[in-house]
Amino acid sequence: MNPPEALPEKFGTDEWVAQVDARRAGGGWIGKLGARWGALPISWRFLGLLLVGAIIPLLIHSDYVLRVIGTAWLFATLAVGLNVVVGYAGLLDLGFIAFYGLGAYTYALLSSGHFNVHLPSWLALLIVAGVGMAFGLLLGSPSLRLLGDYLAIVTLGFGLVFVQLGLNLDRLNVPWSNTPLNITGGSNGIINLDPLHFFGFSLSTVANYYYALLVWLAIVLLVIYRLNQSHFGRAWRAMREDPLAAEAMGMPTRRLKLFSFATGAAVAGVTGAIFAAWQQSVFPNNFDTNSLINLYAMVVLGGVGSLPGVSLGAGILTVVPELLRSPELSRVIFYMGLALALVFLIRPRRNGLAVLVGVVGLGLILRLAVQAVAPGLVSPPTIEVAAVSISSGFERASQSFGVLVQRWILLPKDPNTAGNLAYVLLVPALLAWARMKPSRWRTLLLVPLLYLLSFVWETRLSAEPAITRLLLIGTLLVILMIFRPQGLLGARRVEIA
Amino acid sequence: MALLELINVNKHFGGLEVVHDLSLVVNPGEIVSLIGPNGAGKTTVFNLITGLYTPDRGDIRLDGASLLGLEPHQITRRGIARTFQSLRLFLNMSVIENVTSAAFFRCSSNLAQIVLRTPGFKREEARIRAQAEDKLAFFGERLKGYRFDQPAYSLSYANRRRLEIARAMMTEPKLLLLDEPAAGMNPNETLEVTEVIGELRTRGGYTILLIEHDMKVVDGISDRVVALDYGEKIAEGSYHDVATNERVIEAYLGRKAAITK
Repeated sequence: MNPPEALPEKFGTDEWVAQVDARRAGGGWIGKLGARWGALPISWRFLGLLLVGAIIPLLIHSDYVLRVIGTAWLFATLAVGLNVVVGYAGLLDLGFIAFYGLGAYTYALLSSGHFNVHLPSWLALLIVAGVGMAFGLLLGSPSLRLLGDYLAIVTLGFGLVFVQLGLNLDRLNVPWSNTPLNITGGSNGIINLDPLHFFGFSLSTVANYYYALLVWLAIVLLVIYRLNQSHFGRAWRAMREDPLAAEAMGMPTRRLKLFSFATGAAVAGVTGAIFAAWQQSVFPNNFDTNSLINLYAMVVLGGVGSLPGVSLGAGILTVVPELLRSPELSRVIFYMGLALALVFLIRPRRNGLAVLVGVVGLGLILRLAVQAVAPGLVSPPTIEVAAVSISSGFERASQSFGVLVQRWILLPKDPNTAGNLAYVLLVPALLAWARMKPSRWRTLLLVPLLYLLSFVWETRLSAEPAITRLLLIGTLLVILMIFRPQGLLGARRVEIA
Repeated sequence: MALLELINVNKHFGGLEVVHDLSLVVNPGEIVSLIGPNGAGKTTVFNLITGLYTPDRGDIRLDGASLLGLEPHQITRRGIARTFQSLRLFLNMSVIENVTSAAFFRCSSNLAQIVLRTPGFKREEARIRAQAEDKLAFFGERLKGYRFDQPAYSLSYANRRRLEIARAMMTEPKLLLLDEPAAGMNPNETLEVTEVIGELRTRGGYTILLIEHDMKVVDGISDRVVALDYGEKIAEGSYHDVATNERVIEAYLGRKAAITK
């Protein structure tokens, strides 16, 4: 490599070294666009994204799409709330989902025929926020003396207890009555909740709730962002970095911990209430450990401590599993992802293109060879392109793509046996490949490896979309955590220095 | 009247007597050095003063008011700030935030003011920021300009030590406790630290209690030196008196070596 011709005057000074990130980000049109975007004032960026969110329902009228994106706003709000506790204050709170559930149940009890209480929504939401805060303080106070892993275990216990209470508080024996009291409705939950209604306007359609969730997300983002920019935010992060030093520098760490717990709990509670009103029912299993893990995956994927990061993480982990629901669509995404990864990750770029051509060529040769020698082994495409009248253009395009792929790959008559064998072969092959040193051979080996991967996809994975999408998301998370442990938009952190 | 008074303070961990009947006075405007071999209990004394440990017996007073039973952050509020022997910076926060965070208890904006960004809140933030820049300016050009927004982990060791002192200054203490400010520094840096400590008194107006192993530093600036060994005060006085004191030499070198000298 030749040194750049004109070295800037500051070259090599501390100041120059400190600006390494800024210089690196400049490359390519994506980098330039990113820099242009980053240079805008934060309020413009915030309002711009909000505007994009606000016009989506005007362009797309599918209730399904709005429901998925609305769910993304919901989880983004939860992730932002969790980020206060985990990302800023550095407390591993595994009971967070219980506050979400608590908010939902509190709303259900205050706005349904269950106890025949029908409060106005603004009052119900206020009470929900208050109850959330109160329980946040309650859970927080015994946890104050616990650090790290211990706090995680105790709060996880709270979360599990909440689900059990939801399941079993339908038959509480009370001294003043002979019939047991039914509070939570057990596993049947509470149904027929009132929709949210404000001053005569009742939220009834999916689009209504879409906007309610978007507005709530915007409020939460604004409040948390500004809180983080104040002395409270600084103290939270100082506490995360070094609680003892924070205390010695005059920060009341106990109160700050409780405050972060209460803030997170209030956000989760109100979000839960909106969720309950949206689906007009609550069930204990809406708030189980699976949802908790999902939420943590979002926060970690996006980048702990970064508000845009955790929101993005929530968006990705809500939308991507939905996209992968249909085998045809997930096939398109799979191959597109592979092709993009090849072209963008392998340098020089012509090598990536060469591998791509190699894989396609290898497939064609194998297919033609087997067809010539033993035509009985090969099966015709199993996909059919649906009639024009019953499907959209996009669906038909992805189906046609599927047919094309199945004509290319060697699709055996008995896909299960061949696919299983190939799968067993694929896993060690991938692991071995990942451990190789970068070389020409390694790049070349990608050709058979990617063909094998496509073969496994066609024979086994696309037949089981429910399992495949989890596998894919899991793989995505693993790869991301290896190459970018701080998450997509998180800042790199130094633990020991 | 004395600024800080330790009166017959005792502290033991299990059967180990770490501080034994220690009495110590620091007067306003003084620089007092605490010396002693490793394990003599110097850092424990700091931990007792700042409330991280509570003494088993005895009393600790600031301006005549007892500090016993106060939490560490309350003691800081009363006017005692410290640095740590093994640096304890907020590594993943920016240099300026490391300093501004220490003004937490002097910030009075409430939640509504913060969320609405009222002029009062903005003024307060600007004031805190200006104060922090002021404290950092104490160390010359090193922690200025572009450095403000660099993460603390990007700083060199010596700059981290300086940043920690600036952070302690931000709590606006009457008394600064410096735990080995010159540890791990080269001779030039040590010389500079000595000057900085002197300036902390003259320009900053702080009273300073100092733990230091580097006798050049101790000799250069101390009004008084207190020597500890096994948690007991074995000598007190000017640097010269303490440095030539038999028990101090014995504590540092061992009995045999002390006799043959």
